[in-house]
Amino acid sequence: MYRYIIRRILQMIPTVFGVIVITFILFNIVGGSPATMTLGKNISPKALEEFDEQRGFNKPLLLGRWSATRAYQDTVFARNAGPWREIEGVVYVAGQRPEPGHIVMAPGKDYAVPLAFKLKKQTTYQWILKYRLISGTAVFRIIADDQPRGATGARPALPAAAEPEPQATVLPTNSAWQTIRIPFTVGSDPAVVKPTVSAAGGALEISALRLRRQNAHWFDSQFVFYLRQIARGDFGKSHYTNQRVAQMLKDGIMPSLALTVPIFLVELVVALSIALLCAFWRNSWLDRGIVVIAVALMSVNYLVWIIFGQYLLGYRWGFFPLWGFEAWSYLLLPVLIGVVSGLGATVRFYRTVMLDEMYRDYVRTALAKGVSRPGLLFRHVLKNAMIPILTNVVIAIPFLYAGSLLLEGFFGIPGLGNMGINALNYSDIDVVRAIVLIGSVLYVAANLMTDLCYALVDPRVRLE
Amino acid sequence: MNQSNAQSKSAGRSLWADAWRQLRRNRLAMASFWIILLYLAMALYGEGVYWYFHWQDTTPPYQQTNLQEEYLRPSVFRHPFAADPGDDSSLLTDHHGSPAAPGLAARLRSGLRVLAHHPLGTDNLGRDVLQRTVQGARIAFQVGIITSCIAIPIGVFLGCLAGYFGGKTDDFIVWLYSTFSSIPGLLFIFAIAMVVGKGLLGVYLGIGLTTWVNLCRLMRGEVMKHKTRPYVQAARALGLGPFRIMFRHILPNIFHIIIITFSLRFPAAISTEVFMSFLGIGVQGEPSWGIMISNARLRLWQGVWWEMTFVTAAIFFVVLAFNLLGDALRDALDPRLRTSEH
Repeated sequence: MYRYIIRRILQMIPTVFGVIVITFILFNIVGGSPATMTLGKNISPKALEEFDEQRGFNKPLLLGRWSATRAYQDTVFARNAGPWREIEGVVYVAGQRPEPGHIVMAPGKDYAVPLAFKLKKQTTYQWILKYRLISGTAVFRIIADDQPRGATGARPALPAAAEPEPQATVLPTNSAWQTIRIPFTVGSDPAVVKPTVSAAGGALEISALRLRRQNAHWFDSQFVFYLRQIARGDFGKSHYTNQRVAQMLKDGIMPSLALTVPIFLVELVVALSIALLCAFWRNSWLDRGIVVIAVALMSVNYLVWIIFGQYLLGYRWGFFPLWGFEAWSYLLLPVLIGVVSGLGATVRFYRTVMLDEMYRDYVRTALAKGVSRPGLLFRHVLKNAMIPILTNVVIAIPFLYAGSLLLEGFFGIPGLGNMGINALNYSDIDVVRAIVLIGSVLYVAANLMTDLCYALVDPRVRLE
Repeated sequence: MNQSNAQSKSAGRSLWADAWRQLRRNRLAMASFWIILLYLAMALYGEGVYWYFHWQDTTPPYQQTNLQEEYLRPSVFRHPFAADPGDDSSLLTDHHGSPAAPGLAARLRSGLRVLAHHPLGTDNLGRDVLQRTVQGARIAFQVGIITSCIAIPIGVFLGCLAGYFGGKTDDFIVWLYSTFSSIPGLLFIFAIAMVVGKGLLGVYLGIGLTTWVNLCRLMRGEVMKHKTRPYVQAARALGLGPFRIMFRHILPNIFHIIIITFSLRFPAAISTEVFMSFLGIGVQGEPSWGIMISNARLRLWQGVWWEMTFVTAAIFFVVLAFNLLGDALRDALDPRLRTSEH
């Protein structure tokens, strides 16, 4: 038995891992960084970078040493000069087939690279520069030198053989496009980092410029960040309510359970009783009528139950309080609607289960031996039908935690379902991801429970 | 090979003919079938209207707001005092013996003119509820068909592979679908739609990429069963490739499962689309049933009952018809179920 349990738990691991991978693929790879989507378009790159930093979105996906930073967005000058538009003396040249689009920097001037915000302290970065320098010299400085500047900020042109200053790279003359990597490390004061390009003697042409930030190590990636988050039980922070997601889940679960558990129990009892009635008078007008009604109930949209139920019972006739979560009476109407909306499908399912049992040989034997019909139904059929019923019940339990997505919103119940819908509307990825993930893990756990119950009841299962 | 093909074909025909006969006898199923055809015709008409006005580059009538006609009650006949400049009232009384008997076309026109413009009333912007409901049918069928086109091939292909090859392939596919099935359904769909972006594409992908699991499981089980049948062994002995055996020999024999699944997942897809559009993550800027419900919901409290009622009735009948037909198909096509249901 223990061996079976352990084997079953080990089998659970790949599924949980699969869920983690799928949520990762969905939210990180397909979705990408939700920063612009959630914060809006007119937000400074610094705020976006902080949003990404907090959620690990500024790291490589799976594996990597270098990652992009919003301090300088990659520019390839395909359509325009990008952030260089505003820099005086820079001319944009559109691309023409063999020639890529590029910017031309006239000689004899310093050009500060337009950084969106200060770089991070104690971090290694690198510039990746694709340029062409037909004649003259050009220098790429990381830290602007301390010489006093003129009023315009321009300095006299460098002499042709300027000796390289610290953290300054002389770009070799080359008549073809070539790429150069310029690594540098930011010290304790990021304010002094002012990358500047200067050219002398000939124009410098740049066709692509990228800034990369070095990560702590190769595995410092979004995936590892996500795994570590999960391991800590930390689901991040909702950007909408600015609360920790774990705290939100804790607050929301009780109202959700208060709604879903009564629905679940009442529905179970009612549906089982009706199914027993059907089995008892099978093929009678009652049975047929119930089946037709069940299919009809099933076909009514869930929204319709809620909207008409709230309108008629709550508003028109005033039987129940309409909206809120103040006393238990506020739960009556949502529970009623929840039960009715799910009843059709459940009754049909349990009826099929019962009827499947009714045509077994042991039932015929029992009947032949003279067991009374009620006795047969309750003592034999119900007992044997318990296995599929229990499976259905246990599997349904994990779905209780998320509450009812729609009922909660309509009736103002502050549960997880309501939270989930709001999160979907505000693209609050951390919240949605946490709810999906926890729901899946609970489902896997419930599956494990059913299997273990089976194994307890039926010794054959263990040997499989 | 030819013979085995011919045999499987003739057996298939008889199964389908038998199923059709069964269906014909089931009056409820036939009624459902006709209702579905009616909705399909509505959807096709809606599609035609949509493209016509798209090409004309004008606002289609179901989007035209007309603030003079807001909240018109549903009525079959035109309001008696409604002015109509083109109306010649003498035509209406010609059967009393007017000497100038008009032609058939004119009679028909005058007859139609008595009918209301808005038999199902109008909404808060004076848009015609009937036309919007027809457009809703168009969206619903699009969603049902396109999501099936995504989900069914995935389910069939993976199910066949898992069932036929077994071993590592099977392990991987079982892992894949058990992972998918353990993610809470509606939330998963919503999450995909959120990531893809609001709009119909999100609806298609959300529903299509999550609902293949059941079919895959069923196909896997059936293929595993058929794999040991003599006809498959014979095909293998003839040296046919695995894909040919799977898709030319086994698949036709278990095709009924696909049809049953299709007819049962269609209403589910429609309902999901209604949810999504209602919540605002579905269709954007076009009249779908979910959007109509969400519009009509607040008006209901002001006593404007018609939009809500007709939309919900439209959804109810198509879903009911699909459910009934699906059940009937299952009874007709799956002989094992037929014997156990009494």
